[in-house]
Amino acid sequence: MKIYTGTGDKGKTSLFSGERVSKASDRIEAYGDLDELNSVLGALIAHLPSDRSDLVGELQQIQANIFVIGSWLATTPSSPVVDSLAPIEKEQIVFLENAIDRLDNLLPELKNFILPGGHIAAAWAHVARSICRRTERRTVEVLEEFDTDETTEELTKAMIYLNRLSDYLFVLARECNRLHGLSDIPWNKS
Amino acid sequence: MTTAEKDYPTEIMEHRWISNKTFEIKLSRPESFNFRPGQRISLKLMNFERDYSLASSPDEPHLTLCIRYVEGGRLSHVLGDAEKGTRFSFCGPHGYFTFKSSQRPAVLVASGTGIAPFRSMVRSGIAPEFLLHGVETSAELYYAEELQPAAGNYIPCLSQSSKSQPYFEGRVTDYLRRHLPPVSYDFYLCGRREMIRDVTLLVDERFAGSFIYTETFY
Repeated sequence: MKIYTGTGDKGKTSLFSGERVSKASDRIEAYGDLDELNSVLGALIAHLPSDRSDLVGELQQIQANIFVIGSWLATTPSSPVVDSLAPIEKEQIVFLENAIDRLDNLLPELKNFILPGGHIAAAWAHVARSICRRTERRTVEVLEEFDTDETTEELTKAMIYLNRLSDYLFVLARECNRLHGLSDIPWNKS
Repeated sequence: MTTAEKDYPTEIMEHRWISNKTFEIKLSRPESFNFRPGQRISLKLMNFERDYSLASSPDEPHLTLCIRYVEGGRLSHVLGDAEKGTRFSFCGPHGYFTFKSSQRPAVLVASGTGIAPFRSMVRSGIAPEFLLHGVETSAELYYAEELQPAAGNYIPCLSQSSKSQPYFEGRVTDYLRRHLPPVSYDFYLCGRREMIRDVTLLVDERFAGSFIYTETFY
């Protein structure tokens, strides 16, 4: 099966809701960032300890949720295709909040800013965190273009989800260092 | 977490050739199986799996598939020679290639067996303003009799010359470029990748503000 279509060779692409838009439009930028985030999560998963299938499962659930968020970013408000999209579950936000608290309880209290890095898995978690923050900012931009309706309700949940996800990735980065016997690297101002 | 997709058992109730390259099979429909016009199912046969668009409406008691016989093709070959009573399984429904209500006129464009999801839509009561069917010869205009009265404009496009037939000679893109007024439409494109690429690029060039929904056959 050939995967290329040739339909974007002149700089346009199709949204899930059917419009043809420039590949440089805000929404394409937003779900491009989301795609980048998902790929980096794959790299992070590949560097997790082999005996931590619980963390792998957690991150793969997050990857699946990112696909759902992408479908909402690719859909114009009031489009009839809204009916075929899966909702962004509020429970998934609660799931992240619980995971943040669980991981945070395993870690020493943070008294300084820390430098992103340490073990390679922690480094990837920090890369994912910063891409996640950018994706959140892009989602806010898209959200500000639309009037309120069902799609913006979902994108608002997406924005909150991405906000929690970046916090989750921060504590996960620290946990990755802890699992490998490494300390966080404090920021030394001098 | 995702759960495994359900397999439905089925068997061939009827098998008939509708052109020298294309056959239609009617499958028994499991009671709990539902779908929307335009969706596909994934047939599982001899350790191989392939998606086919349903050509029947959700109101019908059986599931109809319209399949092009590909010499050397793994599943079309087996199904082309299959007899009534052959059993296998399928899963689905899959896909989002369904009709969306809109203020814009609908233009449905199929190449070959890409007509299948449009037949399902038409049999479900959808009446598009334009329905184009691109084929090589008029012998492949299966379903013409039922599609012609259902669409505002049913336009067979024959890529091979056919002097004696009152059909448009040329590709679907030729018809769209020459005869479709340049306003905004909802385009539904189903069939070969090349047709979908060519129509999409033409829409970008000539029919600004249009929406495009696609289903590619491989």
